[in-house]
Amino acid sequence: MAQKDSLQMDENNTYVYYKVVNQVAVPETEVYRRAWDFARNLNRNSRPEKGQAEHAFNISGSFLVYSGTSLMRKESGAVSYLFNFQAADGKYRFKFGNFKFIPYKRDRYGNMVPASGLSTPIEKLADAYTQKERDAYFDQIAANCIYLDKQLKQAIYGTEIKKVPAKAIKVNTDKW
Amino acid sequence: MKKRLLLLLSVFTFTLSAFAQDTTKSDPPLVISGSVDTYYKYDFSQHNNIPTSFASDQNSVSIGMIDLALKKKVGKAAFVGELSFGPRGQYQSIPNGDGNTTNANNSFHIQNLYVSYDVTDKFNLTGGYMATFVGYEVISPVGNFNYSTSYLFTNGPFQNAGFKATYAFSSKVSLMAGIFNDSWNLYKSVDKVNTFGAQLMVSPVTGWTAYLNVLTGKLSGTEFDLTTSYQITEAFKLGLNAADYKPAAVAGTGGFTGVALYPQVGVSKTVTLGLRGEYFKTKTGSFVPLGPPPGSSVFAATLTANVKAGPLTLIPEFRLDSNKNNTDGFTTKGGGLTKQASQFVVAAVYAF
Repeated sequence: MAQKDSLQMDENNTYVYYKVVNQVAVPETEVYRRAWDFARNLNRNSRPEKGQAEHAFNISGSFLVYSGTSLMRKESGAVSYLFNFQAADGKYRFKFGNFKFIPYKRDRYGNMVPASGLSTPIEKLADAYTQKERDAYFDQIAANCIYLDKQLKQAIYGTEIKKVPAKAIKVNTDKW
Repeated sequence: MKKRLLLLLSVFTFTLSAFAQDTTKSDPPLVISGSVDTYYKYDFSQHNNIPTSFASDQNSVSIGMIDLALKKKVGKAAFVGELSFGPRGQYQSIPNGDGNTTNANNSFHIQNLYVSYDVTDKFNLTGGYMATFVGYEVISPVGNFNYSTSYLFTNGPFQNAGFKATYAFSSKVSLMAGIFNDSWNLYKSVDKVNTFGAQLMVSPVTGWTAYLNVLTGKLSGTEFDLTTSYQITEAFKLGLNAADYKPAAVAGTGGFTGVALYPQVGVSKTVTLGLRGEYFKTKTGSFVPLGPPPGSSVFAATLTANVKAGPLTLIPEFRLDSNKNNTDGFTTKGGGLTKQASQFVVAAVYAF
């Protein structure tokens, strides 16, 4: 399955990455607090805003998408998104949606920067980009969502995977 | 001035040493980007008339340049090295050597060569030889809509070597201030590092960005510049460049002033049409800009199409320049004086 298949169409015909997680052993208020702390790191220039429902919030963010491979790989744009989260008794759900693509171009100093500042909903990328380009962008959007999904899970369960340092193998050079 | 320079240097050195121990989570790879461009031009007088930069060869399939930019960023520190080969990227835009007679034939090929450091997310320090921050058009054909260039571009700076600090108050406002070598477009100063430059960037609404620029020095003169572009809809963009230049007292009197408007409209997924209308006035005095002689003016209209096929852009364009006077420099096919000059250019630019 391609990573882009992790994106689904919602009732408004827009792409979303939506998950419902059941059987959460952590108390609802604690889930909400930990998710809030996680969200604060998504965007340094913005703070989460409380939603209308209890224990719900949303925040906007963005990540870069790339084109090319190896040495030719460079930023081809940024994708902005809206992250919605809600905790309930024994479960939580979240959604990455409202994805918008902001194309980049190379500036006079050799840096990749937003071309015009205008963004295009990813549902309308077909108007300006080839199927190959769209597939690459959708794969990266999905991959970023999957990565953030894992980060959120770690934040909520507090089970950050710690690398166990490998035991150094010693050799006794006195012996043949 | 010496004290100011020492202060700037000490701040730069301190910040570098203070943050040099930062660890980096990952090293992005070395990034290579660039372009190649080639063109055909036909001036209807059958000889060169229009004196602006590039697209200079009459009735010839000619080369622009191959441009190769390397960029690497590790943590907060980055460098950019951009080399160019070909007429556009050598004698038409950069000096050969460093000014020493023995280096007269040593082409350095440098468009950009600088290092930068993000002191914070909002504060950046950059030093080296950089593309100028002044003006709407640039040397790289990838950065311009039209292939031929404006009088404002031709007469403005191309590069400035120096040291600059940029602070972003928000995504909508930033301020750059720097101290640059005493002369534009040279790898090293003639004598001093005493040109002051500043740029205020404001972005009042999404899609609209404006840059207010000033560059002033005792040898380089003073240029005030406004560069702005507004992507009003997905299909329509409007750009504007206005500038005024007064040479330093040692370089002469007079100067130039001008304004250029750049409306562009996307007519399909792959085709965009654009017009550049420029009014360029040379001030009375001893300073002689490229264009009509001092005390005269020119109006130039350029109709350009950009036809995109992936990384390749085909650029056909028609240009008509009208001088104020018959004696301002344009000549007819037979050599007679005329107010007008016109040319057709078709260029191909491949960006990577």
